[in-house]
Amino acid sequence: MSGASPLTPEERDALAGEYVLGTLDAAEAAAVRARLATDGALAAAVAGWEARLAPLQSLAPPEAPPPGLWDRIAASLGEAPARPAVTPRPFWRLWALGSTAVAAGLAAFLVLRPAPAPQLMTVLLTSPEQSAFLVEAGRDGALRLAAVNAPGPVPPDRVRQLWALAPGATAPVSLGLLPPEGRFTVAPGTIRPEPGMLIEITLEPSGGSPTGRPTGPILFIGRLAPARGT
Amino acid sequence: MTSQAELLAALAAGERDALRRLYEAQSVRLFGIAQAILRDRDAAADALHDAFLSIARRAGQFDPARGAAEAWLGAVVRHAALDLARKRGRERPTDDPALGDAPVAPPQHDALEGSAEAERLRRCLDALPEKNRQGILLAFVHGLSHPQVAARLELPLGTVKAWIRRGLLTLRECLA
Repeated sequence: MSGASPLTPEERDALAGEYVLGTLDAAEAAAVRARLATDGALAAAVAGWEARLAPLQSLAPPEAPPPGLWDRIAASLGEAPARPAVTPRPFWRLWALGSTAVAAGLAAFLVLRPAPAPQLMTVLLTSPEQSAFLVEAGRDGALRLAAVNAPGPVPPDRVRQLWALAPGATAPVSLGLLPPEGRFTVAPGTIRPEPGMLIEITLEPSGGSPTGRPTGPILFIGRLAPARGT
Repeated sequence: MTSQAELLAALAAGERDALRRLYEAQSVRLFGIAQAILRDRDAAADALHDAFLSIARRAGQFDPARGAAEAWLGAVVRHAALDLARKRGRERPTDDPALGDAPVAPPQHDALEGSAEAERLRRCLDALPEKNRQGILLAFVHGLSHPQVAARLELPLGTVKAWIRRGLLTLRECLA
């Protein structure tokens, strides 16, 4: 194909057919793709060939992908993987940075409150615009969670589930299902809160994760860090 | 049960979980498509990864009037796998049997069934000369380039290019 020169209808259709078949080389395929956005006739010809040849897709034998592939896709999309990452990725670090700024402000507010001041705390959030949860670990070993602002609704057959992943642990521990208003206390002795512990909320089927591990997307996440002023 | 088209619409509307549900429903079929083209599980995983990022970005471009959601998803995966095959140098003929396509048998189009479109395509493929049909199937299913099809079918490159082009034209007329 030569640049953006006009094509006859026959040339256009042949080009579209070879593009869909896959026989164009890298430069030719890239040229067709670049042209698709602006050339409606070429886009229609390609769509026609995709539809004509689509049944051939079934000639490839189905095969299960490698087990970690979904997590890799989710991580690339900037979403949390379905299973928590044990090693921090750049994406986690960014998040921690975001939470720290919010946490600093909230911590300043918290220390004005009467004792007992929290020893450890974190703020769970997905992005600066979204609602966040404040998590405090008190000296008594209890973990208290409160929504900073009203948490959004969950789908009718879903529930928010709270998890903790201790540093170095490979599997998170369920801390329970969250009530809709987002206030929750984890009784002392359930877990031992420590700095670096990952606290996350996932969206799970009613009744909680059927597997005992997070299965749904991570809605909120944060790491426990020493609270200021304690 | 939610259809793939509904999941694509939900994804386009910003529902984050829809992509995971599409993956759960389609990844085995789609990985098979990528693996048939690349014949290397690591490369096929890379292609599926790239394809799902593309699906997340382009879900809004899916138009149910132009075809089934499964076909659209398969096309995105095929093009991601073909791009990777091109990057891996499939246009360069090689004597290395590990890189060549000797083990690839032309797919059997007799397996095309289950829908009116599939059966029509099978009948139209039946009407093509055998090497012509094999060239088209090797290119579509296994991602073979013109030089690779020529090597596989022991035909001159120019002949293969002309036959494939003519084969597509015949198919289009037959399916019209």
